[in-house]
Amino acid sequence: MIQILSGIQNTAAALDAERTRIDVISQNIANANNTHDLNGKPYQRQVVVFESALKQAMNGEPASQLPVLQVARIERDSRPGQSIYSPGNPDADDHDMVVMPNISISEEMADMINASRSFEANLAVVKNARQMAMQTLAMGRH
Amino acid sequence: MIDALFNQPNYLAAKKTLDAVALRQEAIASNIANLETPGYQRLDIAPNFQAELDHACASRDAGQFAALRPTLAPDPTAQPNGRDGNTVSLERELMLMSQNTLTNALETQLVSGTFSKLRMAITGKT
Repeated sequence: MIQILSGIQNTAAALDAERTRIDVISQNIANANNTHDLNGKPYQRQVVVFESALKQAMNGEPASQLPVLQVARIERDSRPGQSIYSPGNPDADDHDMVVMPNISISEEMADMINASRSFEANLAVVKNARQMAMQTLAMGRH
Repeated sequence: MIDALFNQPNYLAAKKTLDAVALRQEAIASNIANLETPGYQRLDIAPNFQAELDHACASRDAGQFAALRPTLAPDPTAQPNGRDGNTVSLERELMLMSQNTLTNALETQLVSGTFSKLRMAITGKT
């Protein structure tokens, strides 16, 4: 297929990856106080790991030489959570201590701002590519 | 015979620069996409392209222009700005992107100018 907007596949992949990152951050914030996950343990913070890969040749199109951003995996953060004193809590141990999820809201918020700024930067690329395509299409008109 | 119309050095140079600008946009898109990928090296047009273009412009030879092929290469001068080895700086990329868009506007206008001058010569009308 003819590519009118240069570099658009790469940008689309990046927008997708940033979207996944924001999804994971919102999941972390939603579970910030969840002391009883599916496995019965406190919720563990999840982190998105990015990697770049060269796109494979497909449908007869030549393989791109540009590294495309993708989500490599979503990992669990193994830092220990804080223990708080909470008598009467069903998840409390013999000393009335409850292990909270290892989530810091301020860290998640900073990460979220980072992700949405990266998203915006990629949108700026789309805008510029579009502007360039319009100029090219207007070539030869007077 | 019609080939002669499209073999002027200015027109050929504008065309090759447009190729380079489109490729550079791809490089910048890739750089911004990989803003947070650990170990990513920023890409740009291979530095020998500018020298070869200058050389072709000086020689005014259509064959030399035709042989020009802009390619992408990792930028060896970029320094990593963090401990993850990533050499992309967002500010720099956005600035280069604006510059690239303006270069594209300039070159498309040059090519359009060539066309409209040809049209004027053929029809005698502006």
